[in-house]
Amino acid sequence: MTSSPIVARELVRHFGTGDNIVKAVDGVDLEVRTGEIFGLLGPNGAGKSTIVRMLTTLLKPTSGSASVAGFDVVTDADKVRRSIGVALQDAAIDPLMTGRELLNLQAVLYGLSKADGRARGDELLERVGLTAAAERRVGTYSGGMRRRLDLALSLVHEPTVLFLDEPTTGLDPMSRLTLWEEVRRLNQSGTTVLLTTQYLEEADQLADRIAIVDHGRIVRAGVPRDLKAQVGSPTLFVSVDQAHGDSARSTLARFGELRPSAEGTLGVGLARGAEDVAAVVRALDEAGIKVRHLELNEPSLDDVFAEATGHRLEGAQ
Amino acid sequence: MSTVVESRRHDADARSMEVIAALVRRTLLRVRRMPSAFIPSLIMPVFQLIAFSGAFGAAVRLLDIDPMNWYMPLNAIQGASFGALGVSFGLLNDMETGFFDRVLMAPMRRSVIVFGSYAAAIARSVVPVTFVVLVSFLGGLHTPGGPLAILMVVVASVMVALSACGLALGLTFRMRNMGAATLTQFAIFFGIFLSTSQVPLSEMSGWLRACARVNPMTNILRFARQGFLGDITWAQTWGGLVAMAAMFVVSTAFALTGLRRYDR
Repeated sequence: MTSSPIVARELVRHFGTGDNIVKAVDGVDLEVRTGEIFGLLGPNGAGKSTIVRMLTTLLKPTSGSASVAGFDVVTDADKVRRSIGVALQDAAIDPLMTGRELLNLQAVLYGLSKADGRARGDELLERVGLTAAAERRVGTYSGGMRRRLDLALSLVHEPTVLFLDEPTTGLDPMSRLTLWEEVRRLNQSGTTVLLTTQYLEEADQLADRIAIVDHGRIVRAGVPRDLKAQVGSPTLFVSVDQAHGDSARSTLARFGELRPSAEGTLGVGLARGAEDVAAVVRALDEAGIKVRHLELNEPSLDDVFAEATGHRLEGAQ
Repeated sequence: MSTVVESRRHDADARSMEVIAALVRRTLLRVRRMPSAFIPSLIMPVFQLIAFSGAFGAAVRLLDIDPMNWYMPLNAIQGASFGALGVSFGLLNDMETGFFDRVLMAPMRRSVIVFGSYAAAIARSVVPVTFVVLVSFLGGLHTPGGPLAILMVVVASVMVALSACGLALGLTFRMRNMGAATLTQFAIFFGIFLSTSQVPLSEMSGWLRACARVNPMTNILRFARQGFLGDITWAQTWGGLVAMAAMFVVSTAFALTGLRRYDR
């Protein structure tokens, strides 16, 4: 048995039966090391949340195995639950209760005494900056406040492993930054974090290592910097009139491999980056193709994603 | 920074009774903060008590039975059942908001979820029963069987409420939609109205009589009514106790197996 806090081997989860079977997770291998922030990056419906739900004992795997904090998620589910903190995709909080009431309830659910629960609640409220709002009903909280409370709830029993399922989805940039800072602080204090996200920037900024998930499979995994380096050259994105699409494509193909791009735009990998741009523009001009927009992008996680899956992350940020 | 919980934090096997008490407190808190969701279950049994004893009272009056004494136990049981049904609505809401996942992820015995819901159902059902009894006294209720009559109607109401709650939980765990509450309402209505809810068994005939004879609710109503119609006797008590125990066991098993299925 490995000592890594999160390990999954050939993890599979199917929904439905017969012809209507959906393979939400289709053979995932995963190993998260102690003290790292690991990101699962992928679009909606890729299977990220299903992976998290299996690792947090909310869903039983169809096949395969997984252990969290050294305990099997199926046979030792109770021990897993004691070791982990979880903030799921939608902040699962009762809008009729106050922040403090929810923290007190969470403390009871995890077996803390009344006094301990109250003290721990005060500590966490202060930590996530919600002391002033502690007696207010959660229904009056902003999205960012709800997320921070959700994070505080997941920390009541001081877990060693923290799961954050799309922790910043729907948050404004300021709230997102605040949450990132808190996640970093938690990680620096020794908590291993597995987070799912559809935001490239979030994965890039927060995660020590990432795994790109698409159609229930991990298609790439590694350190973001290494993954980007593997993609290699920068990508030049060119927008041209629709009528010139085919000729532009063949012109660009002379300079490098064509890469997936958004609709109405063509992407080409340029081995020498900026040095090739002038030649590309000249070639397009000579072919009588009017360029509407042109942009050179250094390799990003979106490029890694595109290279791995053949399509770009929808609404990537 | 961490000033507390050093000594006890990770060996925290959530103590069942404390969790149950916390879940009941949450239910009562929700009732207090959103009374509009609870008031119908308070008003309806009283409204039905007044309507039934007024509109259909003549039928039992012919049998020399006081309509208020006849209908009060029925409406108390009905009110308690629908009060308990609120727990199922709450569960469904928790499933939709994801709050139920939070409860599922807590390191505690799964049965605590069902028994916590039962405790909440008792809290929710006692209020309408009390209200119905108080209004009935104002309307002329008398107790030839003595104070024990009140206790028996409370016991019957709570036990039927728990069975209704168990059925509702079992259906909600399996269906995960509003259909569960609707089906439970149907079951309560069928259970109550295919029994001696309106007239005694001796006055019934045909298929309705056949249904009422085998319907456990008939025994429960006999149990609950006896102290309001005459003396309390063992002969009228044991059948009700058996019926309540059987319904409780079956509905609890249904709820627990439903939760196990949900947990997959």
